[in-house]
Amino acid sequence: MGQAYSTIAFDPSACDGCGECMKACARVKFDSADVSRSLIQIVKSGDGADMRPGTPGEFELALCRQCGDPKCVTVCPAAALTKNGSTGVIDWDPAKCVDCLLCTLGCSYAGISLDAEVGRVSKCDTCDGNPACVPACPHGALRYVTTSRIYNEVGDWEDLFAPGLAGCQGCNTELLMRHALRRVGPDTVLATPPGCVPGMGSVGFNGTTGTKVPVFHPLLTNTASMLAGIKRQYKRVGRDITAMAIAGDGGASDVGFQSLSGAAERGEQILFLVIDNEGYMNTGMQRSSCTPFGAWTSTTPVGEHGQGKTQDAKNLPLIMVNHRCEYVATASTAFMEDLYDKLDKAIAASKRGFAYLHVYSPCTTGWRFPGDRNIEVARKAVETNFVLLWEYTQNRGLRFTRPVNDPAPVTEYLKTMARFKHLSEAQIDHIQRKVEENLRFVKRMAEMADAE
Amino acid sequence: MSTIIETPPQATGNKVILCEGNEAAALAVALARPDMVAVYPITPQSSLVEHVAKLIAEGRMDADIVDAEGEHSVLSALQGGALAGARTYTATCGPGLAFMFEPYFRTPGMRLPLVMTIVTRDGITPQSVWGGHQDAMTVREAGWIQIYCESVQEVLDTTVMAFKIAEHHDVMLPVNVCLDGNYLSYGASRVEMPDQAEVDEFLGDKNVNWHVALDPLRPMAVDPLTGGSGGKGPSSFVRYRRGQCRGMQNALRVITEAHEEWAQRFGRRFAPLVESYRMDDAEFALMTLGSMTGAAKDTVDEAREAGKKVGLVKIKTFSPFPVEALKQALSGIKALGVVDRAVDFRWNCGPMYRETLGVLYRLGRHLPTASFIGGLAGADLTLEHFHRVIDATEALLDGPAPDEPVWLNAND
Repeated sequence: MGQAYSTIAFDPSACDGCGECMKACARVKFDSADVSRSLIQIVKSGDGADMRPGTPGEFELALCRQCGDPKCVTVCPAAALTKNGSTGVIDWDPAKCVDCLLCTLGCSYAGISLDAEVGRVSKCDTCDGNPACVPACPHGALRYVTTSRIYNEVGDWEDLFAPGLAGCQGCNTELLMRHALRRVGPDTVLATPPGCVPGMGSVGFNGTTGTKVPVFHPLLTNTASMLAGIKRQYKRVGRDITAMAIAGDGGASDVGFQSLSGAAERGEQILFLVIDNEGYMNTGMQRSSCTPFGAWTSTTPVGEHGQGKTQDAKNLPLIMVNHRCEYVATASTAFMEDLYDKLDKAIAASKRGFAYLHVYSPCTTGWRFPGDRNIEVARKAVETNFVLLWEYTQNRGLRFTRPVNDPAPVTEYLKTMARFKHLSEAQIDHIQRKVEENLRFVKRMAEMADAE
Repeated sequence: MSTIIETPPQATGNKVILCEGNEAAALAVALARPDMVAVYPITPQSSLVEHVAKLIAEGRMDADIVDAEGEHSVLSALQGGALAGARTYTATCGPGLAFMFEPYFRTPGMRLPLVMTIVTRDGITPQSVWGGHQDAMTVREAGWIQIYCESVQEVLDTTVMAFKIAEHHDVMLPVNVCLDGNYLSYGASRVEMPDQAEVDEFLGDKNVNWHVALDPLRPMAVDPLTGGSGGKGPSSFVRYRRGQCRGMQNALRVITEAHEEWAQRFGRRFAPLVESYRMDDAEFALMTLGSMTGAAKDTVDEAREAGKKVGLVKIKTFSPFPVEALKQALSGIKALGVVDRAVDFRWNCGPMYRETLGVLYRLGRHLPTASFIGGLAGADLTLEHFHRVIDATEALLDGPAPDEPVWLNAND
């Protein structure tokens, strides 16, 4: 497989042309206050003459894209520009450069240009993988996208589940569990309590197994306490293993909640990953306490007297925050980079205490939408703030990892699936209100953490 | 904590202490050197786990202690520990045992050699916090080995033996050591402490997960789905269940061998399955279980003085039920009175009585038998009660057996 690389991504809808990125670049790269020297240039669309801050959407980016098929390299007669195979950056070698400026004509992005101060070309080198412009942006318009790491690294890790697990068509849970276990690695004892994960065959049937690490069905009720016993014994004999659960929301939030809460309170060194598909989907789509308000399930059916679930969902990850866990985070299968970042932190935290990762995973079968729309549905949940992505540590408190500042109305999410198709205006209003209320609540927690 | 009450006997050099049954159990656990204990307090077990916690806190016992949030997690944590190779211990009773039933039933199915004391307590409701055998009797079909103790010394010795029995490769089943709430849990008596080095030799090296393990060095799926009506499912399920039943039957031999070795090493001999007391020329007998046996034996002695040809049969190992040993013990008598500290709701009698009916069938002859129920919820069973049992049982020699149980404390 070829190599993928990290890159700086620009969201023009968030950029108001304030120029903070250019100031940061000029300062870091040249110790200069002259933004014309910055290797990143924000230019106003159209003639580009008016550089005053304005309305988001009006600005474009002039920056080296570190192209995979770089024209600058092709046109350089002196081999002064080369594509770095390990970092992906187009390196410029001043010793070889003959200052012909052909490269500046070859680039379509104005990514390499003459620095009039020194009379030579200059270009972005991503600050060796830690670009100064990105954190300088106050609007989140710049992101350093490291998703390439997933491609580059995960490809080399062993898939620790057997091929051919029997998940429903289009199920994100299989994607999620394969990625998660790959990352955690072979020195793991895996608990998969009754639900979709063992239902797919991860623990196997009649003496076979679907998993290459030690795996077991705990009871639906005792996942955290069984794992605690396992982890403690290995710790006692001086062996470092990861005690990991891949559990459903029902087992975690309902009948298994006591053991989860007890283990978290005791600080058992466990990585507890909950795949939240908002109900008992494996047994036929029954309601759990994580099922959202209004949702059809097989035990909250819709009819003359029933209009879906009449209560709001329990917010299990926030409850786990109040256990003062070593690490708590929410994640989504539509945002793998965010998920991987949190997985890394959760694995590390599970060596010190209880780490809890709550991943929203839409259920094609139980939520009733076509199997090819899963990522889209998951993404909509985040874009409408129906699902909030954040992380919590004891030291830092809670912080949003992918804040959505301009959320779409929740109907954009609700209309993607049939479990909500019966909703009345009043029910939709209730859900929208609750989304906003939940956002305010979590925001307050984040602000409290910021203030401290 | 315990006080040393005698200088060590010359022969053994061992300490003799005064302690309660709950403390004796805790001291026995320390002697067995478990890797992990999990605790949750419940009356009348609480002082037992307090003693365990104290022994660990004082450095007299090197075990990891899981202060769980309930009995369900207590047993679950120990299952995890055992699957990772730990020798494990806990204690509970009554409502706590009821709460842990889900993992309780599963433990023998996974062939995990846990040891758990049941400080027996009557079943609620009627609300009560006192002793009785209803808790342990109610779970007797769950596949645990259940051994009842008569004295505080027997609690200590049997608790150590329980680890050897549970971990024997022909058994690999969890063991309940049942000690009577109130009477044994809080009853203080003289106890001889075995020597640690000798106990170490008696128990040998532990290997509790050779057959099933959660270990990255030996990756396997533990307890994958089986059963159903297709493929290898039915035969696979039968193989597991039948193996479990075989382990229970093997336990009868292993319990006997463990008691024999104990007697040789430590000089204290307890009947492993069934004890026959003054049965040699007995015409009729009482059957007892647990701490009531002391008062019953004294009553038998008095009745013998009065010329009655009565004996006593005490069951120590209740699960697996010692059918052959009981057949032999009952072979010479003509009437039997069975005293239970619990009820069998389905048969309107005591549970030990009902179990014994099956043995009588195998005797191949009619043996008039009556069920006596007493000692419920902490009620005392005195010599006077046992005299009534003896008289009523003697009456069976020439009269009909009653259809109804006799409730011994009904008019106390």
